[in-house]
Amino acid sequence: MKPTPRMASLLRISLVVLMGACLAPTAARAQLQIQITSGVSNPVPIAIVPFAEAPNNGTDVAAVVQHDLVGSGRFTELPRNKMPGTPTTAADVKFADWKAAGSDYVVVGQVEPVAGGQLAVDFNLLNALTGQSIARQRFVGTASALRNAAHRVSDVIYQAITGIRGAFATRIAYVAIAGQGGAERFQLVVADADGYNQHLILESRFPLMSPAWSPDGQWLSYVSFENHLSAVYVQRVLTGQRSRVSMRAGINGAPAWSPDGKKLALTLSGDSGHPQIYVLDLSNQHLTRVTDSPSINTEATWSPDGRYLYFTSDRAGEPQIYRCAATPGSIPERITFTDEYNAGPHVSADGKLLAMVTRDDSGSYRIAVQNLTTGEFRMLTPGRLDQSPSFAPNGASIMYAARPGQAAAGILATISVDGLTGLSLKPTQGEVRDPAWGPFIQ
Amino acid sequence: MAESVRDRWLSIGMSVLLHGSLIVLLALGWWHFREPAPAPTPPIDATVVDARTLKGVGVAPTPSPQKKAPPQAQPQQPPPAPVEGPPPPTPDEVAMRQQAAKEEAEHEALAQQRLQAREAQRKAAEAAAAEQAEEAQKAEEEQAAAQAAAQAKKLAAAQKAAAKLAAKKKLAEERKLADEKKLAAQQAAAERAARVADLNQSLQEDERATAASGALASWTSEITSRIQNAWIRPPTAQRGLKCVLNVGLVQGGSVTSVSIGECNGDDAVRQSIQTAVYNASPLPAPPDGIAFPSQLIITFQPTN
Repeated sequence: MKPTPRMASLLRISLVVLMGACLAPTAARAQLQIQITSGVSNPVPIAIVPFAEAPNNGTDVAAVVQHDLVGSGRFTELPRNKMPGTPTTAADVKFADWKAAGSDYVVVGQVEPVAGGQLAVDFNLLNALTGQSIARQRFVGTASALRNAAHRVSDVIYQAITGIRGAFATRIAYVAIAGQGGAERFQLVVADADGYNQHLILESRFPLMSPAWSPDGQWLSYVSFENHLSAVYVQRVLTGQRSRVSMRAGINGAPAWSPDGKKLALTLSGDSGHPQIYVLDLSNQHLTRVTDSPSINTEATWSPDGRYLYFTSDRAGEPQIYRCAATPGSIPERITFTDEYNAGPHVSADGKLLAMVTRDDSGSYRIAVQNLTTGEFRMLTPGRLDQSPSFAPNGASIMYAARPGQAAAGILATISVDGLTGLSLKPTQGEVRDPAWGPFIQ
Repeated sequence: MAESVRDRWLSIGMSVLLHGSLIVLLALGWWHFREPAPAPTPPIDATVVDARTLKGVGVAPTPSPQKKAPPQAQPQQPPPAPVEGPPPPTPDEVAMRQQAAKEEAEHEALAQQRLQAREAQRKAAEAAAAEQAEEAQKAEEEQAAAQAAAQAKKLAAAQKAAAKLAAKKKLAEERKLADEKKLAAQQAAAERAARVADLNQSLQEDERATAASGALASWTSEITSRIQNAWIRPPTAQRGLKCVLNVGLVQGGSVTSVSIGECNGDDAVRQSIQTAVYNASPLPAPPDGIAFPSQLIITFQPTN
């Protein structure tokens, strides 16, 4: 077959087409395709510009917000002395200036009096790079609730930028010890999550221990040694109304509210001297024994689905954390293997992380988390006497009791679950211990 | 096909026949030429005569050999017939007889002489006739030979002409074939040249593309790392996330717009990727020879 010129040209054309087809992806890639497969976990730079504020009780809303956000470990602030201005509305923001100052986001707002003697807090979260408003909201409340309004602002900003629900406008409960020597007074305190806005719930000459929040945040359960006998009480936070739910022989301790709020897990020793885990039905006082071993079993905590209990047991010699079904006769399964001492379990709300006190090789007691899926174990706090870890309801931080330095008073501190950001709560008078982070407030 | 086979056989047969006949003709001609068949000569009855008595008798002229004529075969002379004389006379009679005889003899001799003359005449006539016949035959033969020769010549000429024609035809065909071959070769060469040119071009383009793609790859990775370093990944940006951004650029690499296309991330993720791209602006300049694209497609897809 003789190639005709037509065929030759066809051949050439098809060659060109083929070559074009080969080159096309290169060209396309060259022009268009970028794949981003990783990022950094740096804190997000944000500027919280002082709000235009009506006279109030001295609360600096912007400062509260900044403290919340920076304390979470996920934000870094632009110091006020480096701010290129003090706009209080979006219209006044010169974005290029804020971008040049290194802030990705700018928060502006106002506090103004509204009818009924209340205050309204308005804020606007702006993206300094796009100039867009990402979130804006108005909270109205009494002057005394101004800090709480500020925490709500923090919650909105936190969620807008991290995708995680903020837990700043939540409360904590803890035990404070005032006075010394034989004149000690034990106090059950409820405060905002940043340690401010403290409310005394109960004060006693006898030791108070192990406060625990009901899932709805309306009740606290605790152990009181009134009259030198241990008993478990439940108390309505707002009214102070309380009732004793267990005062059996031996130890009555470590109450933990089931996720549905209907039951309490307890540690009871009875006459045997071997503390065991029980479940108490609050509606009918029916008591179910869960563990049965000639060893110590205590500090029960529920899995978020309410089916399991995690608890501390020394059945293997040293304290370790076990898990069993919250039903009679179940066989406990050991969960922790890293270190010789693991105690005080608390499970995150998503059920993925187990926080505990662990004793490291140097004998230091530190807060650690274990991934319940992968088994990954991560030490979070420096020690030496860290106790009582309690997850924030969003699982992003853990509050715990610390005793920094020799013979110093115990304090409360938070640590982000990545272990990168720690924050000590406002120092209180005397010693504080046994923190319990409350649920989200509806 | 059957017909053509038959045709072929027919033509082969015809050709064999033709050639055969040609060969036969040639052989015949050759044979004729080499050994002409003895002409059917009539028997000659001749007497020896004194040549002197035969004065006036013409001698057949020997035919001058014809130009290019095949050599004349010498006709065979028939052997002369034996001649017998009368018996001798007695002596008595001799005298008278001698007289008579003399007279008679004279008479006889005369008669004999006349007879002999007549005979000689006749013989001469016969000889002449024979010679004439011979000559005629010779002429005939010569003519036949000439004819055969002519025919052979003609045939040879025809053959020669045919051969010449065939040769000419063959030459023409060969020439044509050569021309075709030459043309085909030329075309092939041209095609090869074109192909080589194409190949060279594509190689060059490949080279350029390779060089460009190397430069492109490094440029792409520069952009990638710049954006990855700028992306403060929110906790909700987990594996399984995929967001495609269409990024508008101006010369100098400044990002002028970021629009989010397909994206399964939450608002925080959207904010973070938008912010990352703006923070990466201006993007690094492209390598030489590559224009700054006015658009970039950036896919955020964490692998862990």
